[in-house]
Order: sequence, then structure tokens, then C-alpha cells
Amino acid sequence: MAASMKTFWTGAAAAAARVGAETLLVTQKISTIGALSCNPSLGGVGKGHLVKEIDALDGLCGRAGDWAGIHFSILNRKKGPAVWGPRAQLDRQYYREKIQSELLSTPRLTVREGSVEELLVAEPDPDVPGRHRITGIRLAHEAQPITASSVILTTGTFLSGALFVGQTTSPGGRIGDAPSSAGLSYTLKERLGLRVGRLRTGTPPRIVKDSIDFSQAKLHPPDAHPTPFSFLNKHVRCKPEEQLPCHLTYTTPGVERVVRESLHLNCHIRTNVLSPRYCPSIESRVIRFQGRTHRVWLEPEGLDSDLMYPQGLSMTMPPDVQLRLIREIPALHRAEIRTPGYGVQYDFVCPTQLSPALHVKSTQGLFLAGQINGTTGYEEAAAQGLWAGVNAARWALSLPPVALSRTESYIGVLIDDLVSRGVTEPYRMFTSRAEFRTSLRPDNADLRLSLKGFKEFGCVSCVRYHEAMRVRDALQDALAALGDISLSTYKWRQKLPDTKISENKNTVCSGLDILQYNDMSFENLASIFPECLSPYTEFSQRLKIEAVYKPHCDLQKREIERIQEEENTSLPPDMDYLSLPVSLSQEVREILDRVRPSTLGSALRLQGMTPAAVVVTLLTYAPHRGQKEGGRRNKLGPKDQGEEEVVRNAPLTQ
Amino acid sequence: MFQMFCRGILSSAVHSRKVSRGHLSWRLQSTCEAFPAGLADADTIFALSSGHGRCGVAVVRVSGPASATALKCMAGLKRNLPPPRTALLRSITDPKGKEVLDRGLVLWFPGPHSFTGEDSVELHIHGGTAVVTAVLQALGSMSGMRPAEAGEFTRRAFQAGKLDLTEVEGLADLIHAETEAQRRQALRQMSGELGQLYQNWSHRLKQCLAHVEAFIDFSEDELIEDGILSQVDTSVYSLLTEMDQHLKDQRKGERLRSGVQVVIAGATNAGKSSLLNTLCQRPAAIVSPVAGTTRDVVETALDIGGFPVLLSDTAGLRNSPDAIEREGVRRARERLDQADLTLVVVDCVELPRDPRQAAAHLKEHLNSVLPTREQRQADRCLVVLNKTDLLPEGERQQLDREVRQVSGLPPVCLISCHTTEGLQLFLTQLQSNLKTLCGNPQSDAPTLTQARHTASPPQYFCIGK
Repeated sequence: MAASMKTFWTGAAAAAARVGAETLLVTQKISTIGALSCNPSLGGVGKGHLVKEIDALDGLCGRAGDWAGIHFSILNRKKGPAVWGPRAQLDRQYYREKIQSELLSTPRLTVREGSVEELLVAEPDPDVPGRHRITGIRLAHEAQPITASSVILTTGTFLSGALFVGQTTSPGGRIGDAPSSAGLSYTLKERLGLRVGRLRTGTPPRIVKDSIDFSQAKLHPPDAHPTPFSFLNKHVRCKPEEQLPCHLTYTTPGVERVVRESLHLNCHIRTNVLSPRYCPSIESRVIRFQGRTHRVWLEPEGLDSDLMYPQGLSMTMPPDVQLRLIREIPALHRAEIRTPGYGVQYDFVCPTQLSPALHVKSTQGLFLAGQINGTTGYEEAAAQGLWAGVNAARWALSLPPVALSRTESYIGVLIDDLVSRGVTEPYRMFTSRAEFRTSLRPDNADLRLSLKGFKEFGCVSCVRYHEAMRVRDALQDALAALGDISLSTYKWRQKLPDTKISENKNTVCSGLDILQYNDMSFENLASIFPECLSPYTEFSQRLKIEAVYKPHCDLQKREIERIQEEENTSLPPDMDYLSLPVSLSQEVREILDRVRPSTLGSALRLQGMTPAAVVVTLLTYAPHRGQKEGGRRNKLGPKDQGEEEVVRNAPLTQ
Repeated sequence: MFQMFCRGILSSAVHSRKVSRGHLSWRLQSTCEAFPAGLADADTIFALSSGHGRCGVAVVRVSGPASATALKCMAGLKRNLPPPRTALLRSITDPKGKEVLDRGLVLWFPGPHSFTGEDSVELHIHGGTAVVTAVLQALGSMSGMRPAEAGEFTRRAFQAGKLDLTEVEGLADLIHAETEAQRRQALRQMSGELGQLYQNWSHRLKQCLAHVEAFIDFSEDELIEDGILSQVDTSVYSLLTEMDQHLKDQRKGERLRSGVQVVIAGATNAGKSSLLNTLCQRPAAIVSPVAGTTRDVVETALDIGGFPVLLSDTAGLRNSPDAIEREGVRRARERLDQADLTLVVVDCVELPRDPRQAAAHLKEHLNSVLPTREQRQADRCLVVLNKTDLLPEGERQQLDREVRQVSGLPPVCLISCHTTEGLQLFLTQLQSNLKTLCGNPQSDAPTLTQARHTASPPQYFCIGK
């Protein structure tokens, strides 16, 4: 089925193949599959959540990260476990090899080299909404088109990509790699009429490791016990003691001086294109925050690599100025640059034109994922790739699309934010974007997604499904066992003299209540009640986290149910909001018409929606069409009633 | 709004509590005790569901799980609830102070046989503002109860599958009117010192929220200052104290003026101030033949046909080089945006002689005075053609006939403030507009606003204690 595009993120193709569709991955160079264009790292706060969820849905990046990781750490460990950020530095070589070997051995997946010249567009299937239909792709220098019932485009930074170093500009999506063809941009903009915008990003110079004076930087060791990303892995490949450290250093006033002196030589930074706020170039940092020092992380590129990646020094000035700049930093005073930093500008498609399945609403069979939707970062791209892959395969197999709610996953939050609000700058995942983050934790992504992924989405393997079942049952049993232990606080104080347990003698506490106490661990309790708790010590940390968050999650449950109900009420995609015969202000009509929310839930989250507008759309149109099974039932919808009338009246009039 | 802010901050903060440093040193410290009841949808809601203004009987509706408790407390029923759907005459008392607020009918509708499908109660009480306010405030003082939001009864009814098509359209219109009325009321509230105070609170709350979000979104080594959470903690506590004190303050610094907000507007020298003086039967505003006499807003409280009205005369709308007059025009525009009903006064001598052109001219003029379609709705505006005494009899009748035939114009009245000719017809029209406006339960209900503000103490949890 699906032809995917040149991409450094290949989750889409793999996911599509797992769901059961014959899949073709088209890429410019097979050798660059799995190449990390920018930083050699995976995860972080918010991003780590995405990696765990991708893994729970059997995506590749978590397992590949465990294979290629050379420095594991959990960020934010001093804060609550709901906002912990699992992160790893990766060995570029290992990562690429792992992804390539996994991909090339995936059943039903064919990989070939080529550059997609254009999308084949045909008249739409009249039974489904949409103005066009994709029938396949045509590769450059090939007469014979490739037919496909669905196509996923993951153009990364390659769509009309342009590279910037100093005052020179050249077409390209990554240094050494050509941009996607002009024909493709033409098809998207002119033929399919999609609204397109432009974004920019950049990458730092790579520095020769031996030329760095590490004595002038602060050593940052990894976690002593690496935590794997994947729920299937108990260990990572790298031995704990073989992990490589990172180093931290800071910019100096000299760096700021060089930036200011060279601004006239820097055409990337002067252009009026939106740049990532959360991964800014050194130029933007210096201009925005004058007179401060900025952090620079020196990160290893691999076990055998002789290069270091200076995170925080993304820059686009001429190469000789780049060298002058980095040498203003004490640890880099005699550093050598292997490849200079550069900027990239590329096209993205405004994501409000997509459905929550990442399907272009106006074009049947076309799916988009990654930077083309206005996001930044590997993890964001991988999450979309996976989801577009699942849905493109389902489209090809004539199965209905599936959606992930923002109440159950960060992937759902990401996609809902993109398709219902759009982007004004490159979108990056944050924990504060997820309203229900106390339930959407990195530790429970398997329970949230693997079971559903197997039963409903079809993208999860049997092995993972059975493991997730085992974990779920064990956790349920353990929580039940904890709940069954019920003692008076007096007794608890006797058993646990070191823990400050409430002085109120009349209260009875369960093991679950006691586990919430600050200094209480599951192992502690298991040592007091070995017969009923010791079988579950494998899950000590997860049980502790469950116990701590339980009261809050219980409280949020009702709110989550309400939102899910709203999300289950779908709105017809072809609704004519501009001429609805109800009292709605022109402003609200225009908002609804522009965004075309697919569910009541996303309509409610639109900016500028009024309670009256919600009631109008909800009451008049939501109930009678497109309501999913299991949604609420209304006594009668206007249209149903109308049709019934006609049927009933027909014989009478004859 | 504050509650929403608090919720946001608190839910962000709860799981990110930093208690002490070291491995596995996180926890949710006893937040369970501090959780407010009903963060979610299980609240019991109440609202005045009959018309506002002077009416014999007012109906207050309650819906949700706490309805039965509310009924028992308010109607002094110790054990049993009354039989379902049967009216019972009871004394209605304040559950806190135990004083008798009114004597009226109470009805008990156990779910699912009610409008919303939930347990519901109706209280039929006397229609005076004081009684209604007291009952709403008493309801709001009970735990788990809050005033309904616009459209909330309807949404609940819909969720229970209780609505049919005929009800849908009407309800949507009603909710539209409600929200529009609430917007105007909020505008009135947000001007002046009170507005500044609220904006200051809102700003500080947003700052707290930003700090908490930055704290969880960036890892510990990304230079987020230490102790940021305890700073937030202190700020939220001081805000809480300020809000508490503000709500308890009985001297309402800027009392919300009750009544339908009627604003007189139009070009200079159309006779706006004369109309005000005619309506209040005393020279409340200075009138003179000099254009631009009225500079500031002149306000008078009136009773028109039994409806409480707050009548404002505004400066004539024109571009003036005079700074004071420009300020007057700005205030006039501001007042127009907050108006429930606008009287657009036009000097009929200024109209083109050809009656058809006159109608077109009127439309254009109306658009310039009232730029939004909302403001021009037929029940929210009235065109007053003044100075008819200056027109010859024949022309006047022709004009009267013509403007009545034009579609798309709000009601038009021809009067002369000088001779009071046409005044009776105008008053009749005005009363009918007021009746429509007051028939909407929330078109102007400061009592409800107060109930909303003071109903439940702000919900919060302690971030750091």
C-alpha cells in the first residue's frame, strides 16, 4: 500500500507494515535511514513520555535507543514521577544500524531508493469526504508510476529545503542531502491547494573530541543504573560502567561579541521565518537575552566517534567565524571544527488541514507526519509517524480510522494540539501541555496503550501484548493485596515505628494508604507482609508511583470521562457551518468552517467558541450523524426525524 | 475564572511537589485532605429560571446529586422528601442562618424523571429581587452547589437524552442571549477600579501558573531558580487572603447598578438630552442648541412601566478637535458596548426629503452608531426620530408610513420632545422592548453575579503546606 517518503524517521513505514499492509518505503538513500540529523540523543522531559508511548505501541525508537544508548539519565528525578524525563545519548552508528536492520527485516515492508517527483491525484471517491484522491506516486527518472491506496509523506526538513551557512544558501534538507523535488511541493500547494508555511531550524558545528580541553568543563556522569526506554527490555545494551559522560560549559561575553560582529554575514538569522523557541540558535539566544551566559553541553557522538556535539551552539554564521566563536569558550579554546553548523528552512503544511488520524481532510489517502506538520524533534516526528502509519495502513485495508484521546496519551495531546489548534512556531512536546499528566505517566504507558494497540489498532505484537497483560494483572493483584491489608493506625505505628503515621487512633489504614507516605517503599511493606506482597517486588517502583498518584487520578477520572464522551461525539466533516440555519455569530461560523473540528471535544477547545455555539453544534448536528457506536443516544435527531416523516408519509400521499 | 486558574495551577503543582532532595524523594504530601469536593462535573447547579424584573412568582431550579439535601435543608424537611412532582407549601429558610427567607411552593423531581434527567428541585418563590437574591445566595452557600453556567441545564438534559428538536433551537437562542448578556455585564464590571483589581489578580495567577509549568517542563539543571515553588506558594496564599477579604467586604465600593442599561446615542444636537429630560420629567441634563453640549455620560435611574431602568445620555458621536469632547465620545462608545438597549436619536429635519432615501440614510446612520449586528437586533435597539414638530404635517405622515415599510430596520418612533407628540406611542414601544429584555432571566441579574462570586469559597489546595 503506502509509499512513504525520504525521511530520517521510519516509524511510519514500520507501523504500517505491522498493521498488516503491504508497504513500500521510498527514501533518497537507504544508507541514511535512521541517521540522526541533529543531536545524538533521545527523550527528555515530555519527549521521554513520547518515546515510552511509542514503545508501548511497538514503535522502534525505544528499542533502538536501548540498543544505541551510551549515556542514560532520568531528568527531573527530584520532581514527581509523572514529569520524569527518561533520556539517553545515542551512538549514531549503532542507532542507524539497529533501525536499518529492524526495518529491512520487517515483513511486508519493501525499501527502495528514489526521489518522489509527484503524487498521483485522481477524482475523489464520492462516498467519502474529500476533494481529491491519491492513487500513488511517481519517482524521478522513472516512467512507470507506483500505485498505492494510501501515501504517507514524511518530508522532515526536506520539503523545499534550503541550507544556510553565512551568506551562502543552497538547496538541501540536511548537509550532503538534496531537498525533496520541486514537483512534490507543487503538487501539495497548487494541485491539492494545501496551506503551506515556512519554518527554520539549525544544527551546531561538530567538534573534534581531542581538541577539547575537558578540564575546563564540568563532568556530568550518567545514571549509575541505566533505565531502558522499552517495556520489553530489562537492560540496555551498554554496560553501566561503559557509559560515556557529558560535559557542561558556558558561553562567555566573547561569544556574544562575535555573534554581534558577524550578524551582517548571517542571512539565516535575519530572515523572517519562525524558529524553534525551545532549541534556539546561539544567535537568537544572545540577541534575546543579552549579557547572560548560556549553557553548552558537550555530548558524545558515539563510543568510537572522535566527535563531540556542542548542544546549545546551533549557529549559521560563516565557518571561519564559527571557529572564532567557539574558541571564546574556555573549554574549546583550541577546538577544531569537523563540519560547520548550518541552518535549514523548509515548508510545512498547516496541520489544521488534517484529521486526528493525520489524514489530509481534503485528499483521500494522503497522510502527513513529522516536521511537515510543523513539529520539531525526533520524538514528536516518531509519534506522528507511528500514528500516520497505523491509519494509512487501516485506510489501505479499508478499516475505519482510529484516534488517540488526549486523555489517554501524550501522542493524543500532540495530535489534538496540532489538528485543532495549528502551530505558530515549531511545536515541541511539554508535560504542561497534557491536562491529565498525573495519569499519563512514563511508567504506565504500557497499560495505557499496549492492550489497546493490540486489540484495537493492530500495531502491537503478541509478545508485547502478553507482557502487558502479565504486568497489568500483577499490578492489579498487588494493589488489591495492598488494599486488603487493613490495620488501625495504632497497629501501623507499632509495625513501622520510624514512619510518622497519623496520631488519630480511630482511623483504619490500608497498605495502599501507608505506601503513600513519603519514606515508605514497597519493599518495606513487603518485608512486613512477605506472604502476600513479596511476589510483587519486581514492580516495587511502579506500585509506589501508583499508590502516590491514585487519589489524584481517581479525582480526575470523571473529568476524563466527560472529555472522552465529548470526543466520542463526532461532527460530520462536510458540515456547512456558514449557512447552518441556526443562530451562530459569523465569527464562530468562520472558526468552525476553517478548522472543521472532527469531534465535539476538539470543537470545544477551539479559541473563540461560545457556549451557545457549542450547544448549537452539539444539539443540532452532533447527535444524528456520524455518532460513534457506544456514544450517547438522543431521542431523535433532526434528520432522522425528517426521514422518518418522509417514509411514513409516502404511502399516504399516493 | 479564578477557580479555573487555581485549578490549573494546583493540578500542575500537585504532582511536581518537591519535598526533599535525594533519590525517590518525591511524594504527594497529604494533598488528599486538601482536595476540594467536585473538581469535576458532579456539582449540583442552580439558577433562576423564570423571568427577571417584576413578576409575581420566581422559579429557582436546582439540578444534581445534592438537590435532595438542598431541598431538605431549605424547606425544613427533616426526614422524608415530599412525594415526587407534587407541590408543597413550605417556609424556605437559610440553612446557615436559619432565618425564614420566604414562603413558597417546593417540588421534588427525582431523576430520571426530570428536565435534566438528574435529581431536581424547583422552588417557586415570590418574585422580588431581595427574596430571589437571598434564596440564590443561600443555595450557593451549601457545599457542592454552584450557579449554573450558560447552557448548563440544557447540556445536562441533552446528555440524559431529554431534548427533542423543537426545544433545541429555542434553547440555543436563549443561551446565546444569556452569554451575550453576561458579556455585557462583565464589561460593566471590568471597567473601573474593580476591573483593575481583577486584572491584577489574573496577572499574578498567570505568573504563578507560568512558574509552575516552567518548573515541571524544564529539568533541574536548566537554571530554573531554586525555591520557585515556595515563591508560588507564597503568592497563591496572599492572593487567596486578598480574595477572601474582598468577598467578605460588605461595603461594595462600586456597587453594580441594577436595572436594564438603556443608552441614548446619536449625532450631536439630535435631541438626546432632551429625550432624557422628557423621560425623567425633570431637567437632568443640560440642553442647548449648541452642538456638543453633553460631554460626559449623564446617568439616571428610572422606573418605566414597572421595569428598573438605568438611563444614560451620551455625547453626540462626531470627530471633534476638542480633547474633552473626544473623551466624551470615547466614553459614549464604551457605554454603547455595554448597553442592553440603545435609543438611537435622529433629528428628522436632517433626513433627506425623499422618504425612500431617508430610509437608506437611516440604515447607514444606524450602522455607524451601532457597528455590530448584535447591537442592531430589533429587541436591543430603537430608532427615535426627534423634532417632528419641525416637519410639515404631510411630510411627517409620509415619513412615518415609509419607515414602517422598510425591512431590516429596528422599530422606529416619531416624536417631538418639544411638544411631546408621539411620546405615548414611543413609551409603549419602549415598554415592550423592556419586557422582552426582562423576560430573559439573566439579561440583567446582578444578584446572580453576586451569588456566583460569593457562592463557594475559592477552591484551592495548598501547594507547599
